[in-house]
Amino acid sequence: MTQSNRSLQRAGTWLFYAIVALLLFLWLQPLAAQKSGNTIIQRTIGGVMLGSIYAIMALGIVVINKASGVFNFAHGAMMMIAGYMFFSFFNTQAISLVAAGLLAFSTVVLGFTMGGWRELFIPQRLITALIIGIILTLMMTSGGTEQRWLHALTGAVTGAVLIGLLVERLTIRPLIGQPIFAAVMVTLALNEVIRGITTLIWGSQPKSLLIFAEPHPFLPDQFVRIQTPITIEPTGLLGFLEGPVNIDQPRFMAFLLALATFALFWFFFRFTNIGLAMRATSENQQLAQSVGLRVRVILAITWAIATVMAGVAGLFYAGSSAASSIDTNFHFVILRAFPAVLLGGLESIGGALVGGLIIGLSEEWAKLLFTGDVAENLAPYIVLMIVLILRPEGLFGEKRIERI
Amino acid sequence: MADHIRPAGIFDTTYEQDIALNRTRTDKFLQYGGLVALLLIPLLTSRSFLGLNILPDYVVVTINTIAIFVIAAQGLNILIGYTGQISLGHAAFMAVGAYSGALLAKGFAIPIGESMLQIGPFSFWIALPLAALFTGLVGLLFGLPSLRVKGFYLAMATLAAQFIIPWIIEHPLQPYTNAPEILQGIPQPTIGPLVFARPIEMYYIIVPLSVLLMLASRNIMRTRVGRAFISIRDNDLAAELLGINVFWYKLQSFFLSSLYAGIAGALIAFERNAITTETFSLETSIALLAMLVIGGAGYPKAALFGVAFVRLLTDVIIPAIGPAFNSTLTALLPFVDGTNIGPSLQPIIFGVALVIFLIFEPRGLAYRWEVLRIAWKIRPFAN
Repeated sequence: MTQSNRSLQRAGTWLFYAIVALLLFLWLQPLAAQKSGNTIIQRTIGGVMLGSIYAIMALGIVVINKASGVFNFAHGAMMMIAGYMFFSFFNTQAISLVAAGLLAFSTVVLGFTMGGWRELFIPQRLITALIIGIILTLMMTSGGTEQRWLHALTGAVTGAVLIGLLVERLTIRPLIGQPIFAAVMVTLALNEVIRGITTLIWGSQPKSLLIFAEPHPFLPDQFVRIQTPITIEPTGLLGFLEGPVNIDQPRFMAFLLALATFALFWFFFRFTNIGLAMRATSENQQLAQSVGLRVRVILAITWAIATVMAGVAGLFYAGSSAASSIDTNFHFVILRAFPAVLLGGLESIGGALVGGLIIGLSEEWAKLLFTGDVAENLAPYIVLMIVLILRPEGLFGEKRIERI
Repeated sequence: MADHIRPAGIFDTTYEQDIALNRTRTDKFLQYGGLVALLLIPLLTSRSFLGLNILPDYVVVTINTIAIFVIAAQGLNILIGYTGQISLGHAAFMAVGAYSGALLAKGFAIPIGESMLQIGPFSFWIALPLAALFTGLVGLLFGLPSLRVKGFYLAMATLAAQFIIPWIIEHPLQPYTNAPEILQGIPQPTIGPLVFARPIEMYYIIVPLSVLLMLASRNIMRTRVGRAFISIRDNDLAAELLGINVFWYKLQSFFLSSLYAGIAGALIAFERNAITTETFSLETSIALLAMLVIGGAGYPKAALFGVAFVRLLTDVIIPAIGPAFNSTLTALLPFVDGTNIGPSLQPIIFGVALVIFLIFEPRGLAYRWEVLRIAWKIRPFAN
């Protein structure tokens, strides 16, 4: 009796979902039918490309959540400050040796003392730290403007690592053992602090991040965002297209780079020793410690890596956006990546990719169907609400088995 | 309950004593005395009919703002501190209260077929409760996901409210709300010939209402409903096994919390006579959360301490120390532009204060206050 009841209930639930899906389709179909097939294809490609960048943002949050169980609300601010640091190193003609040295050595010192201050006084480590610090400083300052890519990449990555380590050391480490709510609130507070520091140093004017750029057609030594799109002609296998499809070139480059980054980090977690240790720590911190892993060090590395990931995502997003610039409202972009994280599931790396793609697609399609700011602010959250009602733990998240 | 930390040697002998609001005569004296003193404050400013000029005028406005935010933060305290459901969309519910209160007081017409259905204008005394009830119902709607999700997932579902509600106010309801532009001309509350126009007059609506709502929430926590909330916070599975209808009580908590937010929002509308959706942004939601953490979520006085601390920090202390920072920072750090210091000080100081509280006093100011009280009571012995 109860068995048949349950299957009836399940059938009823699926019927309900089917009716809702049908209604949604009936509502959206006439809206979509007005658009030409070409625009829909173009939007779909745009959505996938945008989604890949969201996927990297989501990956950073997932990595931190997996390792330490903290949902990082400061990810947007980290994206922003790393982007600004890239801007500074990219556009400064002569980088001061003192500033670069300070940045490099404070990062190295923090990095080498992840397990405790005494580790720095082991002679071997001290020498390694010195050498790494000097190399980083030289990489940031050597050469003139022709080396700006090297300067900017080293500087931004070093800065991002420094911020990640500082955040872990000053705020997350003292909160080990406290309720998780406190650690999450700390990331909200960090969001404010980093935002304030960014405003303090760089001001509120937008700064242009021309990383996907070509030389200016008229002015010498000037750069502009790449304008010519990649055009796909309706020939051969693609004969079903109604006309040429244009793909924005910076976005496409960002898309390829984002996929490469995602693959890189996936390999890192899957095949390296540190990645394995990080996965072990995320499974069970106490067990990891008891088999000899240094949990504190691993947590610090996780935060550093996640901050670098935030910086990479911020750079790709800001660099490939229409204005190719970054401003102090940039951290709000992360509000669109949060649904991606939850869609894929808080613990799933593959889920971050899927979630990011879904959010990117829904945003671009909403741009196609509706006017106004529906696309940017509303669509991700409506998709999220629907998925959360159907699958409360996200698409690939772990189903929690709770006990009293 | 958390506020009943007893000094050594004081025991409860009856149940009434255990749940009493005022446990000692000193408590009672302080509470009533404090209320009377609070009500006398506007009379000491230059705007009162007494013509005294003891306190500056802005004190009244500051206390008004604090009292309104105390109501909102107490609503959040019911939800987060007592029921343990994280909400990131509280400011959106304040927006619902503000706009529904304002529209009910101004009156508006809904087209139904050919004819127009005119609603209102209602007086303040009807519009406020109606707006609060309506906000409560909206809160119920966004509390529905709590049936299936909890933790961060629920926080995200409430964050969705923070995006969906302002969008609804700004787009489908734009003809009524004029959002995101300013909605002006919200009528002032009146009783007969008495008009509550200036802040000093609104003070006598806002402050008593705030005190009353604080008392009411404290009373709710002493009942079956309040105990159910607390048991859900402590362990929802155990609460379910005890026979508590978890979903039902979670919904009640969402309803109550949004009710408080609605009252606070409507009071903002009537105090300023003009509102925009910008007042109720995500920053306001996060600030409310921060106020609660600083005050000490789960303590009845958390809202009071948290809001007073944060508002004093942002409205009084930061403007006062700003110029000092201006000169020293530009001298210390050559790359800092003087014009950027003003807008960046508030997020930095606010964030650092929140971090310090979370690390060094995660139970908040309300807990520290209880400890101080006990130390005072049993002096000269150490506690």
